Amino acid sequence: MARYGMALDYKNCINCKACEVACKEENGILMGADKHRIWVGVKEIKGEYPLLDIVSSSFEPSQCQHCESAPCQEVCPTNATYYDENGVVRVDPDKCILCSYCMNACPYDARYVDDRTMTVDKCNFCSDTRLARGETTTACQATCPTKVRTFGDLDDPESEISVLLRTREHFSLKSHLGTKPKLFYLT
Amino acid sequence: MQVELSRRKFLQGTVALSVAGGSAVSATNLFAGADTPEKKLTITTKTGVAKEVKLVPTLCEMCVNKCAAIARVEDGIVTKLDPNPMFPKSKNMLCPRGNAGIQALYDPDRLKYPMIRTGEKGEGKFKRVTWDEAFRYITEKTIKILDEEEDNRSTFLFCAGEGMAEHTFQTFYQAFGSSNWLNHSSICLQTVASAYGVTLGAYPQSDLENAEYIIMAGANRAEAIVTPDTMDIFKRTKGRGAKMVCIDPRFTNTAAKADQWLAINPGTDLAFVLALTYVVLDEELYDKAYVEKYFNDFDAYRAHILSNGYTPEWAEPITNIKAKEIYQIAREFMAHAPKAIYYPGRRSTFAKNDFQLRRAMAIFQALSGGIDTKGGLVFGGKIEIEDHESLMPLYDKAKERGVVKTEAGYADCAVVSGGGSWLAWRNNFLEGKMPYSVRGMFCYKHNPMQNMPNTKKTAEMLKKMELVVCIDTMPSDTVMYADVVLPECTYLERTDPVKTFGGVEPALAQRNKVIEPMFESKPVNEILRGLTKHLSRPLFEVTKKYDSEVQDALAEEDEEAYYQEEFDMTKMYSHDQEVLNVHAVHAYEGAAESLKRYGVYYPKMDQYYKQLSANEHQYYPEKEKFYSVGEGRPQTPSGKVECNLANMSSKGIDGMPTWRDEYCFSVPEGKFRLMTGRHAQYTQSGTSNNIVLYDLMPENYIWINKRVAKERGITFGDKVEVISSVGTTVIRAYPTEKIAPNQVFFIHGFGAESSALTWAYKNGGSDNAVIEDALEPVYGAAAMHETNVEIRKV
Repeated sequence: MARYGMALDYKNCINCKACEVACKEENGILMGADKHRIWVGVKEIKGEYPLLDIVSSSFEPSQCQHCESAPCQEVCPTNATYYDENGVVRVDPDKCILCSYCMNACPYDARYVDDRTMTVDKCNFCSDTRLARGETTTACQATCPTKVRTFGDLDDPESEISVLLRTREHFSLKSHLGTKPKLFYLT
Repeated sequence: MQVELSRRKFLQGTVALSVAGGSAVSATNLFAGADTPEKKLTITTKTGVAKEVKLVPTLCEMCVNKCAAIARVEDGIVTKLDPNPMFPKSKNMLCPRGNAGIQALYDPDRLKYPMIRTGEKGEGKFKRVTWDEAFRYITEKTIKILDEEEDNRSTFLFCAGEGMAEHTFQTFYQAFGSSNWLNHSSICLQTVASAYGVTLGAYPQSDLENAEYIIMAGANRAEAIVTPDTMDIFKRTKGRGAKMVCIDPRFTNTAAKADQWLAINPGTDLAFVLALTYVVLDEELYDKAYVEKYFNDFDAYRAHILSNGYTPEWAEPITNIKAKEIYQIAREFMAHAPKAIYYPGRRSTFAKNDFQLRRAMAIFQALSGGIDTKGGLVFGGKIEIEDHESLMPLYDKAKERGVVKTEAGYADCAVVSGGGSWLAWRNNFLEGKMPYSVRGMFCYKHNPMQNMPNTKKTAEMLKKMELVVCIDTMPSDTVMYADVVLPECTYLERTDPVKTFGGVEPALAQRNKVIEPMFESKPVNEILRGLTKHLSRPLFEVTKKYDSEVQDALAEEDEEAYYQEEFDMTKMYSHDQEVLNVHAVHAYEGAAESLKRYGVYYPKMDQYYKQLSANEHQYYPEKEKFYSVGEGRPQTPSGKVECNLANMSSKGIDGMPTWRDEYCFSVPEGKFRLMTGRHAQYTQSGTSNNIVLYDLMPENYIWINKRVAKERGITFGDKVEVISSVGTTVIRAYPTEKIAPNQVFFIHGFGAESSALTWAYKNGGSDNAVIEDALEPVYGAAAMHETNVEIRKV
């Protein structure tokens, strides 16, 4: 029993996309730009060459926020989307009927269709791969060249993520929606 | 219904199909792989569903960095590559290419069998043969040519790409006795490495973990990843410990992570550095004690810079960087010295003045005293290991390297380095200027068709060669011109020579075989074992026939003993690499075992190495790190920073970095300066057929200024033709404000012409189809940013 979350030192991100490949290889994700469990958001820079606004160009690594109050779970008519014992938002492929309500409900655009299993898939913090065999990092955290991510148990006050969140300022995405995301962006 | 099929069943099926994707081969087409629809669905494999799991430490070969990885092998299939946290160079990371290494292993287009050409050169028609047939064919052709050339061994060219087994192939070249060796240097980092070498005595590393101020000019570490530099610097920019000034004509990902970006005119960095130097000398901001102790010809250099008037005001119109910014950077740099770095970079030569630029950078760095010191440029420590056995017989009839000489020296460049000048060599060969005929070539892990400017000329060269032998893993554009193709296994299927990595935290690392070689592929050590078994004795017979020195020796010595001692090439390859590696590190107790078990070894690793957090590891305690190995002393023979190279002056090269009017940047109206570069998701042509990388970025795009594109009616994704004096290529457009109106850019490695490459074939634009062959004057390196092009919407 844990309450898993992730802190992202997002200013470290160089948009190399190692995390995307590691995720695909670890979790057997389909090819295709629309089949990503995780991604790096890029904002096109503002200004005219050479007077560009350096601050306007940023890289925002992201994935499922594992909301404590997940809109995708609320709208699922078959309870295919559920919270597991570690607070990870998971999908039961046997129950998913591909109605795609969850895709519309998710404010973070974190869900996509897996054409093999015909389910609406998403990041599960490597719960059925790495965590299942006792590892303590996700594939995206382990591989990252600039170590953007720290994954861990929010309920354990001694965990690295808890220490980070106590000592560093951070924010959540679209927190005004009341979704209570468990991804935290460190400033 | 599909939804009723359980996920587990699907995933089990996925693994099975992946196996098929890796090993199934159509009987009719030597290049064909598994069926495409299946391939598309089953590229990746979910980990953790296997019975038998094995973890093998290896070293990545998706680029030149050699980062440490741990391969997860499930029921004999490599399902995941994870970072190996024990290696100080790569620390605890694998980049996207490193992760995609699995797809290099299971690429259905891989070379699988030895082949002999049946069609025209370049056509890609081959027949499958046995290894023995291939070796016999090579031997027959080689001996015929050498007999006709009366044992002039230099009638064969040997060329190789960078890699851990490059040296193994080089021992074959040395024993063969040719003088014609060409490697990546002259199309890679020759000028930067050599300029730092002659100025500071070594090509140094940068201590980016401790530097407080960094000028990152013409180096794009967010995209052209170098370990550990990339990991060290980007955690510290943006007000987090280090200020980074990025100088680049383009707004790269590195610029996005910098604290300041200055758009410089291409090819004018030298003027920028000279102006920085002017400020530092004029305002006497330099480290006087360091200069006093470690500089040669400082007064001459000072007088040279000041009397030439290399002021920031002078540099402003040349570089397009404001004088006040040059003053600011020079002063800030010296205020932070010695924890300030003008980052040396490691890349191809872009402008003809590159050697002078690198010299000026090295001297500027030295003026700060930031040499061989924490937070500056460092030489680092190194763990010595024993070399691979080599054999260097003397062949009396072998002529010296094929270069064109003049009264003053060489026709193409001032210095001919060990790696030669690829472009000059190729062009002399084509123009019939070689002092003797070169008729055959052995090419290892190298793709001349795509790796150097002016592809048409390279194709012509390959067509003129009577025997082209290619050792490679993939059917590259060059392989299409081969007479004999020898399939090497990928890096995950072989143990390579153990390697020593110098630096602040030196270590040894070893690439261990993860799985057995697939198909009939072999490591190069075994390929050469088989080849020399056929070739060695007949080669000696040719020598016996023409070489009077050998004939004289044989009059007195027992022939068999003499052959075995001096000419027997087979002995170099008789041992497996695993055995050779154990020998190479035998001086260090426990090293061989550690390299096998962890992939890494350094003295006291068992005491020093520890995990500090999920992301951080300690390799050496702070006080044991090799920041300083000579108290700041440069490693030149004189022990001084060499400001003036008098011997270069006699060869027509400026002894001190000097600006010349012809270095000024200009582009004719309506044309664009073409720039090329690297990318975090691709390493040149070697990765262009990798399906997972292709998935991240399916083709390369040409950057064109947004306003210019609008004027010309070009929108995102439009196909444009890029035209230069040597050729054309077609590529899709990416209009952006990240580039100047008179410049265009696209990444290297795309636009392959080999139809045996499913994904790379005619995908995107090829830079070298349009880059003109401009030679840099010191080493004859290819200057890659000297071409102006026209753009036409098609």
